[in-house]
Amino acid sequence: MTENQARILVIEDEPTIIEFLRTGLKYEGYEVIIAPEGKRGLDLAEKGNPDLIILDLMLPDIDGIKICKKLRMEGNNVPVIMLTAKTSVEDKVSGLDTGADDYITKPFSFDELVARIRALLRRSGHKTETALLEIEDITLDTSSMEVKKNGETIHLTPTEFSLLELFMRHPKRVFTRETLLNRIFGYDFSGDTNIVDVHISHLRDKIQDKPPRLIRTIYGSGYSLNRDKE
Amino acid sequence: MTISLKMRLSLLHLLLLMILLSIFSYGIFTGTRNFLIQNTAVRLRAQAKPVIDRWMNGSIKDSSSLSKEASLLAVDLTSRDTAALVMDKAGVILAKGKRLPSEPVPAPPNPSYFSKSLSGENEITYITKEKDEMFLVTLIPLRKASDPSKVVGIVQLSTSLSPLNGFLNRQKTRLILGILLILTAGALIGFWITYVSLKELTGMVETCNQIAAGNLSKRINLPRRTDEIGQLADAFNNMIKRIEELFETQARFVANAAHELRTPLSALQGSLEVLMRGAQDDPQASRRLTQGMYREITRLTRMCEQLLDLTRITKSTDIHKEKINIKSLFNEFLHYAEIMAEGRKIVINGSSGLVFTGNPDFLKQILFNLTDNAVQHTEQNEMITFTWKQSESGIIFSVSDNGCGISPEDLPHIFEPFYRGDPSRSRRSGGTGLGLAIVKNLVEANGGHIKAESILLKKTVITFSFPST
Repeated sequence: MTENQARILVIEDEPTIIEFLRTGLKYEGYEVIIAPEGKRGLDLAEKGNPDLIILDLMLPDIDGIKICKKLRMEGNNVPVIMLTAKTSVEDKVSGLDTGADDYITKPFSFDELVARIRALLRRSGHKTETALLEIEDITLDTSSMEVKKNGETIHLTPTEFSLLELFMRHPKRVFTRETLLNRIFGYDFSGDTNIVDVHISHLRDKIQDKPPRLIRTIYGSGYSLNRDKE
Repeated sequence: MTISLKMRLSLLHLLLLMILLSIFSYGIFTGTRNFLIQNTAVRLRAQAKPVIDRWMNGSIKDSSSLSKEASLLAVDLTSRDTAALVMDKAGVILAKGKRLPSEPVPAPPNPSYFSKSLSGENEITYITKEKDEMFLVTLIPLRKASDPSKVVGIVQLSTSLSPLNGFLNRQKTRLILGILLILTAGALIGFWITYVSLKELTGMVETCNQIAAGNLSKRINLPRRTDEIGQLADAFNNMIKRIEELFETQARFVANAAHELRTPLSALQGSLEVLMRGAQDDPQASRRLTQGMYREITRLTRMCEQLLDLTRITKSTDIHKEKINIKSLFNEFLHYAEIMAEGRKIVINGSSGLVFTGNPDFLKQILFNLTDNAVQHTEQNEMITFTWKQSESGIIFSVSDNGCGISPEDLPHIFEPFYRGDPSRSRRSGGTGLGLAIVKNLVEANGGHIKAESILLKKTVITFSFPST
């Protein structure tokens, strides 16, 4: 599993931002390396072989634009997402001109950052970001939103599809009902966590998940997708 | 309806010119008229005098000889433009001088003037109007040659004023025409002068409107005017320059404040999202993230407090002041400064007797903020020096460090709120970007001045002074 993880280099100097990027990206299944200043970042970008770089524009020593220019001049084509508090159009243009692949302004949504990371990794052909997810006899195509079991198409509601995709992306991980609620229904959804149980039960029915189940109930915690035999 | 300034000035000028010309012309006209009448009277007397003298020294000895010779005397006195009447003491007309039709008709005598003349007055001249004709009448008493005090009769000489009035009327017409000519010329010249002097005002109004519409970079351009209009334009331009600077500072302040808020806000948003996406299920990750969030909230709160401080100081008008011994204040301060300095060496240097009149809390806060600033820009083991001294104008304080210095581009802006030459560095060291702005406001609230000098990578000296009271 570890060799398949995409490696993301974060060049950023704000400790709190480093912290949530590290935790959040690790949780999403990426390997994260941190560089709190430009020099170290450039060094790691050249030698650490990252699959993607998240680069803050304003750094204490070398600014982000210079780092990006230098990397491109060296022929390093690793995807770069620029991170900055500047919002003017000229800044965006100058950021993209230096060879950054994408641009995101503070304050940003972490969901959006993850979506952009996925898109960039997929574009650069990274193997973890294939559109097709497979587990046992179930296949899920994230681009066509199709789910098949033994080659037969299963019709899922968008909620059920999101749940299945989440489980298939993070096999073995235990999701609490709270987390599932947040991720599937949105951060501001104020309903009861029981609704998660209802959707899980529908999903299990549709993919004919019978005991021993693929989507397991972890008592006292939540749910987890696990193909290992108990 | 409003009358333009140009029009008003022109009209005023015209009116003034008219009044002055009228008074002047009236004076000249009456002067001329009086002079001419006086002249005519003198001429009448001058003509009559030798004739009367000859007769009085000759055949007229008394009243009876007068009545005999009256008609001859009257004829003698009458000429082409002068009519003579000879009267006895009772006022009875003894003879009229008119013989030829071309000779003028004498004016009828006036009894009151007659009696005056009879009583011995020599110079009686008056103007009377008879049948639409003006006459100048002069009365000459006939005195006995042997006894001049005895009056035997009166001679009345009268002459028509028509030729004189004709001349005066022509003169009047000429004067009125002259006045009209001068007024027309005056109006044109006056209007031209006011137009030339005030035409820039129209341009200035246009420029002001453009500025009011939001184009603050617009200026009034009157390169060659050094008069009041030129001074007005200069003063106006200076005012707009100041306003433009204030606007720019304000805009920069808002942009900087928004920018400063962005970093803690994105840290908070990101941390919360990561927590809700699942990190909440991991106690260790939760703890790290919530700690970070707490740090950011603390920073935001501090920033808010300092922003409030900034506006509070700006607004405060009456400040409590007291006499402070500077040395003892610094001794007290040194303890805290050393805690803040984290290994940097603090040196204080100044005379012990000096007393400063001002707000001690303000002075302490100034010193704290400057220490904080110096600490942020120096490495450990470096030195921060505080000095104070008395000068002619007041007390001068200075804080110097041999830290990273300030670049010349940044130097003029360091007292602006949120201004940062090097954005990441000071934020990482915990600054909000408001410390120096607060210092400047505090110094100015105490009536002082502050300035900064720096050599990049070598040293920075911040000097502030308060005038002695």
